[in-house]
Amino acid sequence: MRTTIQENENQVIASFEGRLDTAAAVKTTIAIKPLLEVCNKEVILDCTNLDYISSSGLRIFLSIRKEAAAHGCKVIVRNINPEVHQVFVMTGFSSLFEIQ
Amino acid sequence: MMNASDFHQKMLLREYREALPTLVQLKDAVLQSLHEMLDNSGLFLTAIEARIKKEESLAGKLALKGTKYASLKDITDLVGARVITFYTDDVDRIASMAEKQFEIDWDNSVDKRKLHQLDSFGYNSLHYICRLPGYDFRFELQLRTTLQHAWAAINHDNGYKSDIEIPKEYLRRMNRLAGMLEMADDEFSRIRMELTDYRRRVQTLVRNGKLDDVMLDGDAFRSFLQAGPLNRLNRHIAAINQAEIQDTPLDNYLQVLKSLKCKTLGDVSRLIKRYEEDAYLLARHQLGNTDLDIISSAIGLQNICIVCILSTGGGKIGLEHLFDMLNGTNTPNATLAAITYEQAKNLPFMKS
Repeated sequence: MRTTIQENENQVIASFEGRLDTAAAVKTTIAIKPLLEVCNKEVILDCTNLDYISSSGLRIFLSIRKEAAAHGCKVIVRNINPEVHQVFVMTGFSSLFEIQ
Repeated sequence: MMNASDFHQKMLLREYREALPTLVQLKDAVLQSLHEMLDNSGLFLTAIEARIKKEESLAGKLALKGTKYASLKDITDLVGARVITFYTDDVDRIASMAEKQFEIDWDNSVDKRKLHQLDSFGYNSLHYICRLPGYDFRFELQLRTTLQHAWAAINHDNGYKSDIEIPKEYLRRMNRLAGMLEMADDEFSRIRMELTDYRRRVQTLVRNGKLDDVMLDGDAFRSFLQAGPLNRLNRHIAAINQAEIQDTPLDNYLQVLKSLKCKTLGDVSRLIKRYEEDAYLLARHQLGNTDLDIISSAIGLQNICIVCILSTGGGKIGLEHLFDMLNGTNTPNATLAAITYEQAKNLPFMKS
């Protein structure tokens, strides 16, 4: 599992690659720390290369959403594959995020 | 040659320059006091502002009526503060708060709103002359609505120094506008009051279970949700994987429920009762063989909508339309609808 964070003037973009499961959660939580510190702009969670998400992954997404909401910023989940999208629907998480 | 009046004006202006540091302190103290009073009041305000009278402006005032003031302390608007509200009844509410916060000099305070004759309109604002403990200077507090402020600011910008110079036609048109804005202010307040009454009425009807008497709209839906009509279903679904429930706003379901022909809260209540068991079966089928142990509180209503659409023959297109309403049209909703349909197609409600 690989997480990269890029920042531009208006957005901060976190890109996830691989399987975001319980085993990868600790490493990902550390990787997104810089993102939580700059959550004062629109946050894009780029899931183009995210193959799988577990409850641990959903909790990480939720923590990002909470941090962004505290700063009045929105989180957009982008390019999720149908399987990951289905996890969002099955858990009702699709109502929590703007999915593009 | 300088006459006595000119000399007096010069003395007052010199006094003013010397007093400036104190006036700055007073202005800051007034502003702080107003913020303490209003920041947590729950009132919607356009502005809280304060200023010190500029020397040119003071000189102009003294030139017109300088002999009226024996000393600088007799001038009550060297420091001026202003609170601008959205609603006219909030002006009175803030006035009452100010009466507790400051010592009011009633002899010099004016409610300009009450100065007009029955058949005249014009500047509307409440002016209080106030004192803060520890300061010799008084200050003026102006309270007005946004519309009153717009009128006063535009009228002030007319380039004329006093009312006498203003052409009658201009005055007539400005006063005509003041009358119109007064009506608009009253109407805004009346609308707010009626909306508050409406919300109270809806809450009472919901509390008394008279759901068929309440038309489905944003306020009604929120009141309905406060009673937790989906809690039991959500807890039931959460029990499948011992999941935690994440609280989620359901505002975007209003449009969905209307599309499912719900006209009243009674219709929504019946929809929930009719489909909650099948909504649970769908969740059990989807989540039962996963280890997903976190769900959103939207899951119950979402599944009810899915089951309603599928059991009434809406099929994949109906689901796609549902996801379009919930997720927006720029998501791959057709694929999502197809996956959901596949998962649900062998469940009992599809055969009914």
